[in-house]
Amino acid sequence: MERSRAFVFSLLLLIGILTGCTERMELELDETYARLVVDGEITSETRAHCVRLTTSSSFLGEEPDLPVRGASVRISDSHSIHVMKEDPDEPGHYYTDAQVKGIPGETYLLDIVLPEEINGTDHYTAACPMLPVAQLDSIGIVWKEQWEVWEIQCFALDPPTTDFYLFDILINDILVTDTINERFVIDDRFFNGNYTNGAGIGYLSPDEGENLQPGDKITVRTSRISKEYYDYFWEVVSETGYKNPLFGGPPANIKGNISNGGIGFFLACPVSETSAINEEGIAK
Amino acid sequence: MKVNLRTTLLVLTLVISPFSLFADGGEGSVKRFTISGVVTDQVNGETLLGATIYVNELETGTATNLYGFYSITLFPGNYSLTFSYVGYQTLQKNIALNADITLNIELALREQVLEEVVIQGEMKKEELKMAETSVFRMDTRTIRQIPALMGEVDIIKAIQLLPGVQSAAEGTSGYSVRGGNPDQNLILLDEATVYNASHLMGFFSVFNNDAIKDVTLYKGDIPASCGGRLSSLLDIRMKEGNNKNFTGTGGIGTISSRLTLEGPISKDRISFMLSGRRTYADLFLKLSKNEDLRYNTLYFYDLNAKLNFRINDSNRLYLSAYKGKDIFKNDDFRMGWGNQTVTMRWNHLMSKKVFSNFSVIYSLFDYSLGMAEGEPTSFTWEAGLEDVTARADFGWYISPSYTLKFGLSGIFHNFQPGSVKGTGDETLVADYDLQHNLALESGIYLSIEQKAGDRFNMKYGLRLSVFNNIGSGTVYHFDSSYVMIDSTLYSAGQMYHTYWGLEPRIGISYALSGKSSLKASYARNMQYVNLASNSTAGTPLDIWFPCSPNVRPQIADQVDLGYFRHFRDHTIEASVEGFYKHVRNAIDFKDHAELLLNRQLEGELRFGTGHSYGIEFLVRKTEGDFSGWISYTWSRSFREIKEINDGREYVSPYDRPNNVSVVLNYDLKDRLIFGINWVYSTGSPVTFPTGGAWYQGVRIPVYSDRNSYRLPDYHRMDFSLTYRGQGKPDRKWHGELNLSLYNIYNRKNTWVINFEQEPDDPSQLYAEKTYLFGIVPALTYNFRF
Repeated sequence: MERSRAFVFSLLLLIGILTGCTERMELELDETYARLVVDGEITSETRAHCVRLTTSSSFLGEEPDLPVRGASVRISDSHSIHVMKEDPDEPGHYYTDAQVKGIPGETYLLDIVLPEEINGTDHYTAACPMLPVAQLDSIGIVWKEQWEVWEIQCFALDPPTTDFYLFDILINDILVTDTINERFVIDDRFFNGNYTNGAGIGYLSPDEGENLQPGDKITVRTSRISKEYYDYFWEVVSETGYKNPLFGGPPANIKGNISNGGIGFFLACPVSETSAINEEGIAK
Repeated sequence: MKVNLRTTLLVLTLVISPFSLFADGGEGSVKRFTISGVVTDQVNGETLLGATIYVNELETGTATNLYGFYSITLFPGNYSLTFSYVGYQTLQKNIALNADITLNIELALREQVLEEVVIQGEMKKEELKMAETSVFRMDTRTIRQIPALMGEVDIIKAIQLLPGVQSAAEGTSGYSVRGGNPDQNLILLDEATVYNASHLMGFFSVFNNDAIKDVTLYKGDIPASCGGRLSSLLDIRMKEGNNKNFTGTGGIGTISSRLTLEGPISKDRISFMLSGRRTYADLFLKLSKNEDLRYNTLYFYDLNAKLNFRINDSNRLYLSAYKGKDIFKNDDFRMGWGNQTVTMRWNHLMSKKVFSNFSVIYSLFDYSLGMAEGEPTSFTWEAGLEDVTARADFGWYISPSYTLKFGLSGIFHNFQPGSVKGTGDETLVADYDLQHNLALESGIYLSIEQKAGDRFNMKYGLRLSVFNNIGSGTVYHFDSSYVMIDSTLYSAGQMYHTYWGLEPRIGISYALSGKSSLKASYARNMQYVNLASNSTAGTPLDIWFPCSPNVRPQIADQVDLGYFRHFRDHTIEASVEGFYKHVRNAIDFKDHAELLLNRQLEGELRFGTGHSYGIEFLVRKTEGDFSGWISYTWSRSFREIKEINDGREYVSPYDRPNNVSVVLNYDLKDRLIFGINWVYSTGSPVTFPTGGAWYQGVRIPVYSDRNSYRLPDYHRMDFSLTYRGQGKPDRKWHGELNLSLYNIYNRKNTWVINFEQEPDDPSQLYAEKTYLFGIVPALTYNFRF
């Protein structure tokens, strides 16, 4: 998928050669009714897991998206129910206890009851399986001169099943893939059942302030994810990235896993971490 | 009312009993004789398609077919025949007809216009009476005078200026006819299907004007001999090659150069044409300061070749071929795509009255792309579509009033939807092959052209089309929510599914006077192969897929009613045509469809209905120093598909209600030619968000109705100036300089609108439009010798 993005980029370059200019323009957009927006994640790590609730607003953002306060939020699996508490300092952010840890193999249910109705209902739910953990053998860090990026490579055996993976990258324990379009999501279509002998699973661009020094610690957080999240991720990327008439179809709503027309996703991640120390000198 | 009834009855009688005509040519009646032959250009021997032969005494006539052949059968007597063709001197022949005669005619190009307009008028009168609607013929001389983007004269861009035809997006070779999708247009180059007519992301078409003789567009009322597409037929014929003298034409342009050579191998018997074109934009890239650009290779080329062999008056062989390719590569990445076609044809006169043609045709569209070797993700990706076609067509010129056309054809399709292979030692990419699909698309047709009295002309035909899926193949079964539940494997050679349909094509014309006529037509077209593309501008990554147990053929029914009138001795033609088109099993794609490298592509398809209607006005002047056309179209196009837009009807991506094209040429003393065109259309439908939500650093859009907004209206004016060198009779070399200015008033037409975050306040977004072309000048030097 990353490669096909590189390919799309090349084609855009090709169009750019011909010409192509941009210009700001005034545009009036209609405004639809507000929806509940859910951004929730539970992982197999022991910590306080967060669910964030907001409401949608006008697209261009003249008004801020308001947090949803005072909701009753619970995460449950077949063994336990975790009641979440709203952080008084962060309205709309609901946390579990700090000792909670998700168990791979369980299906996690999110249950939200709002203090007042949004879009005709006060009850929203979501369900997401936490799949078995995927563990990398090791990672590599290589400077790619032609693209001027650091490539993070993974070494692992992909099982013969159809799998989908999510990768996050931390530099010196600080998450750098902190927006959804920086996360790296792939399927195993082209290497199913094979050893991924250094396949690229993340790119750090010094142009965007993501440079590495010798001695920097790189950590990759790997999660096996469901097809549902894989599709959701790519829908988000395509709907929020640069659009052009050559690629991609007509715009369409992103399908998450929140019931009753809620927006967003409740994701259960079986996380494994793999680290390495960068040894290469600075290329740039 | 009574008259109408009688007229109707008369028509019905004639329609129902066409076979009564056999009687009057048969035994027992006065023997009749046939005049037949080929009409050609005097200078280069090219056959002339659609030249008219008018029998002055009988006030009737016929026209040459696609190979320049005509045949007319009359009672014995003395006749004077008038042969005419647009832009050529009219020729009159007096014949004493008492035996079958072969009369090959050569017409001379008319350098000085405005002579013999009156006789020319007879031809125009015939045209007015022809029972075909929504047909537009263009010769390449007309096309050459239309100002062009970067000076590249382009047939497809010329077609987009006709009423009812729209460019699919700025600068693209894709076009929509009467609201239909670009994949609903059949493009034939010497009878071979051209699946992707685009170079360089569509900015140029694959047709090199120098190699082309004649272009005809049928907007729905497609002849019964052709089928397989819902919206239109674009029939392009290559030059045959000068069979008298060795000549060349060519040009040196801003982005490309081209050269065409043609001549006799054996005078009047064997001739050839060879034509090539190559762009050299990439040579300029080397000069670029931008390193990213400097190391790119980017070009396209076209080669056209044709050989034609006149064995004798009854037999003629043609061999024609086309190959075109786009290449784009750099150190990391390469991509190439292109078409190839080969057509072999044998024209055979079975008798003076029966013309036959047998063709074997090969057509290939393919593309490949890949990443350089030495990486874990190095791969090549190849896909394409290959056709082998055989067809036989017959024209039986029974009498001036009856022409019977019939034939059959079979296309063997081999769809190769995609194959990915790892390359190099370090690659991890495992082979990923999508199964090939084989199918046989066949057709058999019969069509009758009939003249009933002075006023009625009719054309009625029936096409039977059959489509077979052939194994080996896997057919996936989907449940009602398009989730794959099962699959069936079919063995090699097994014909595992069949669709068929009858496609009636009926046209009628009624001459109100010598200057005006009413025409109506009804046509049904069926489409068995479709393009998996949901982009509007078109990419080279075309995946064509066949009908199958999951995909039913699309069926379009179109009615058309037109009023045609000629003014000023037929030098000005005006028409108004209205149409209504309804499509069943219309295909669209589900939201966020995955069309590339998807084994279960059929699960991404959604089916419904579509309809479009409109009215098209055209005023065209073909003769004189001042020529051109003005057209205005008002049309709408809608779709309704249960799973899209919550089942509510939505406007098709090609719904642009108002459309104006102005194409004008002024020839000043034959030395300076001015060309100007102006196009205007309502902006394309587009979907904008009506709400948004911040989610992990991005603004997630919330949409309401599909295509409920529009881009700003599109308009643009282009200008060209051609200066011809002093023509001296003894000089063989003729040169002309052409300056063209695209988008002369530098309109920044919106190509796409995106939303960006404000740099100083990322929580705010603003709309940003991308436009492709400002004013684009180009200089071209054209020559012929």
